[in-house]
Amino acid sequence: MSSASIVEERGLRAWWSRSERKIVPYAFISPFYILFIVFSVGPLFYALYLSLHRWPGTGPMRHVGLGNYTYLAGDPVFLKSLWNTVYYAIGAFLFILPLALLLALLINSTLIRMKSLFRIGYFLPILTSTVAATIMFLLIFNNQFGLINQGLASLGIPALKWLDEELVKISVLAVVTWRYTGINVLYFLTGLQSIPPELYEAAQVDGAGTWAQFRYITLPQLRPIALFVGVVTMIGSFQLFAEPLLLANGGPNDASLTIANYLYRMGFTNAKLGYGSAIGWVLALIIFGLSFFQLYLFGAFRKED
Amino acid sequence: MDSTLTVRAQRTIAYGFLFFILISMATPFVWMISNTIKEQSEIFQMPPTLIPDEPHLRNYVSLFEDFDFHKHFLNSAFIAVVHTASHLFLASLAGFAFAKYSFPLKNFLFLVLLGSMMVPLYTIFIPLFVLVIRLGLVDSYAGVILPGVAGAFGIFFMKQSMEAVPGELLDSARIDGASEFRIYWQIALPLVRPALAVLAVLAFMGSWNDFVWPLVVLRSRELQTLPVVMAGMVNLYRMEYGVVMAASLLSTLPILLLFLALQKQFVQGLTVGAIKS
Repeated sequence: MSSASIVEERGLRAWWSRSERKIVPYAFISPFYILFIVFSVGPLFYALYLSLHRWPGTGPMRHVGLGNYTYLAGDPVFLKSLWNTVYYAIGAFLFILPLALLLALLINSTLIRMKSLFRIGYFLPILTSTVAATIMFLLIFNNQFGLINQGLASLGIPALKWLDEELVKISVLAVVTWRYTGINVLYFLTGLQSIPPELYEAAQVDGAGTWAQFRYITLPQLRPIALFVGVVTMIGSFQLFAEPLLLANGGPNDASLTIANYLYRMGFTNAKLGYGSAIGWVLALIIFGLSFFQLYLFGAFRKED
Repeated sequence: MDSTLTVRAQRTIAYGFLFFILISMATPFVWMISNTIKEQSEIFQMPPTLIPDEPHLRNYVSLFEDFDFHKHFLNSAFIAVVHTASHLFLASLAGFAFAKYSFPLKNFLFLVLLGSMMVPLYTIFIPLFVLVIRLGLVDSYAGVILPGVAGAFGIFFMKQSMEAVPGELLDSARIDGASEFRIYWQIALPLVRPALAVLAVLAFMGSWNDFVWPLVVLRSRELQTLPVVMAGMVNLYRMEYGVVMAASLLSTLPILLLFLALQKQFVQGLTVGAIKS
């Protein structure tokens, strides 16, 4: 080896030992940013581009401006799926969250022992896949021989058609409630356990009753966790997919169809990639809008007073 | 006397309600298990039977013989293991960088990372599929695994626990001449093992239960994962209920067993987002 190359190698080493700590962090984080740009940012803008075109997946694209969006505004099936999705979201807020809060309060109260039995028991459904969970409920809600109808029959009550147009959304909500109540119980319990006990002790000294303590200590102290639970529930509800698909194939007559189901139908079954992408962007705008609305409602933008 | 009675009454009502909900939640599980060992005709039978007259395992046999359950089980396991291992590696490496180095644009880059969690899956669904086709990754495991392998949540989570690794330990290794990667691999990583276990459980479960993305990427049947195959078995007009229920039960078992072994990690992992908020 010539002396010049030794000097060069020494220089390189010295340079590396000087700069390693400056370069290495970028190397360590770059896989995420590369994958994020390729598989998220790129597709996000490509979706916007596609949404301004008509394209069956092959051949030339035809620019249609905002045509997909204006068509969407008058598409009765899309409006139905939008309404269904809003219905599921409202149902989740009305069923899951109050039930989860009530269960968490009971488990957290001094009345109850065997706390971990309930905590773990309620938690188990979240371990199932949405597919397995929905499959279980096929035998619960079946119009002829479902368990609920058999139970009703034994009480002399005529069978209800749980998977028909009128009731199918309730059935979907039941599956969702079954799967997601337990995890929300855990979220609320985390929040309840982080409330300083001194607050309750002070209130008791001041003679505050159970209800007053709940109203003026528990609820306000739960605000951060309630915001988290609210945002997660909303985002989850607006992306429901497997439950209505497997329980009733989005039907009957699109009665259980969600926005995500309709996007899938347009993009993949009907090969309308532009139209499907427009649905995706409308969905994103709804989710962003509602997230910010919730943050605003809970005063996340206000300075703490 | 009066007040003890009310406390007792309150306790009874509380327990009654908690058990009622617990039983309601257990019913679908129990009913599913019961139906895996029944004839189709007995599933339809009135009144329902919990333990069938003639329990048998023919539904399970059919699951393996007619539906190749074991192959799809292995597909799911392979994808979940590869996803989990690569996710843990990338997340802990980036989490280490964010926790233990200061570098220009760090705060901005971290903000971008947090913002990336807001991109809804379905918005990028169609273009992502087009991209995967263009990359030639459709109908391959790489196509299933690659887009979701570098999750922002994992990095955020690992950053939290990497911050607890003492800087002096890293510095003394530097004096001994260890490279930065070696410091990450041999010093930082072993110290955050508990956090890695929590993240592993989350990543494995997410991948094992994933449905929509594998559904569109995996076209050929022999590559498909359990949720995709199970969804295909659901036919609203003509379905072997016992077989479908057996598939549902067996597909849930690995996660249930994992949960029983690693309860603490599960609960911690699934509530970590709530605590951090």
